[in-house]
Amino acid sequence: MKTPRELLFARHQAAAPKLDAIRQSAVATVCDRHELSEQRSQNAHATIFQTLWQELFLPSRRIWSGLAAVWLLILTINLAQHGPSPAGKITADPAMMSFREQQRWMNELFADRTLPAEAEPPKTFSPKPRTENYQTLIA
Amino acid sequence: MNMPEVAEPEQLPVSQARAGEPAAWDALFRRYQLPLYVYVFELIRDEQASLDLVQETFIAAARHIGGLREDHKFGSWLFGIAHQKCIQRWRKRKEILFDEIPETLDEFETGPDDLLIRQEQEAEFMNLLNQLPLPQRSVLLLHFFEDFSLEEIGRITETQLGTVKSRLHYAKKSLRKLLEAKNENAA
Repeated sequence: MKTPRELLFARHQAAAPKLDAIRQSAVATVCDRHELSEQRSQNAHATIFQTLWQELFLPSRRIWSGLAAVWLLILTINLAQHGPSPAGKITADPAMMSFREQQRWMNELFADRTLPAEAEPPKTFSPKPRTENYQTLIA
Repeated sequence: MNMPEVAEPEQLPVSQARAGEPAAWDALFRRYQLPLYVYVFELIRDEQASLDLVQETFIAAARHIGGLREDHKFGSWLFGIAHQKCIQRWRKRKEILFDEIPETLDEFETGPDDLLIRQEQEAEFMNLLNQLPLPQRSVLLLHFFEDFSLEEIGRITETQLGTVKSRLHYAKKSLRKLLEAKNENAA
């Protein structure tokens, strides 16, 4: 007695060698595809850099080189100006400091300590009759 | 006989296959090559075309493995690909695919191994299997081979659960009737 599964598989057992060959071929194809996709992903970054290099830099390489040289010069000058200073110069100039100190004292001494004056009440506007204005003009 | 065992889905090296390990793919293909071949052959009845479809199924599986979300459904997913390949072939040949049968929702409590076939009945069994309409045959084969659940068979064949139940019911009923008749005649 056999189950339908056993019966069906037994009847098709002869196809097993062909199926083995198909399986091996499929596995080989799968591996090739996987390797290819890995290589592609690895090469993708290199390709982007290469494209940028060829499309962006190479056509105007003199300009880029000039710009780079200018930036290098600016950087050099900047570094030279802000290079390590002598120990005495790190602190601020003493004359300048004393001047600022004096200024601070003066501000404190002469500061207006009175309370803020009350604001002047707004003048009431009382328009004169126009006839009076006219008389003033005539006189 | 080198019969493929019905492996526990958790044991299948699907995640390794997804990572591109050749040994994992080999194990998966080895596990499913015969069931797939028998399924396809019993549907399309052409040895060379069946071998081609199995190969196409393997290649398609390797290409689309990223789309498989649940590893334990690899088997039904693979059969689904094979089933679609069969349908494409039928469509090309303009063969009649589905004869709709009324949906009866008889519960199907019996398993795939409840039908036992005697040696003298084998030829009749195969003969009747071939006489079954394609949709019923398809559902029955999936039920026999992998003991797929009705939901899984529905997913593979892209049919409603009620339709799967109905087809399986009619197919098994027909087979059982034949086997019983043969037994009575033998007695």
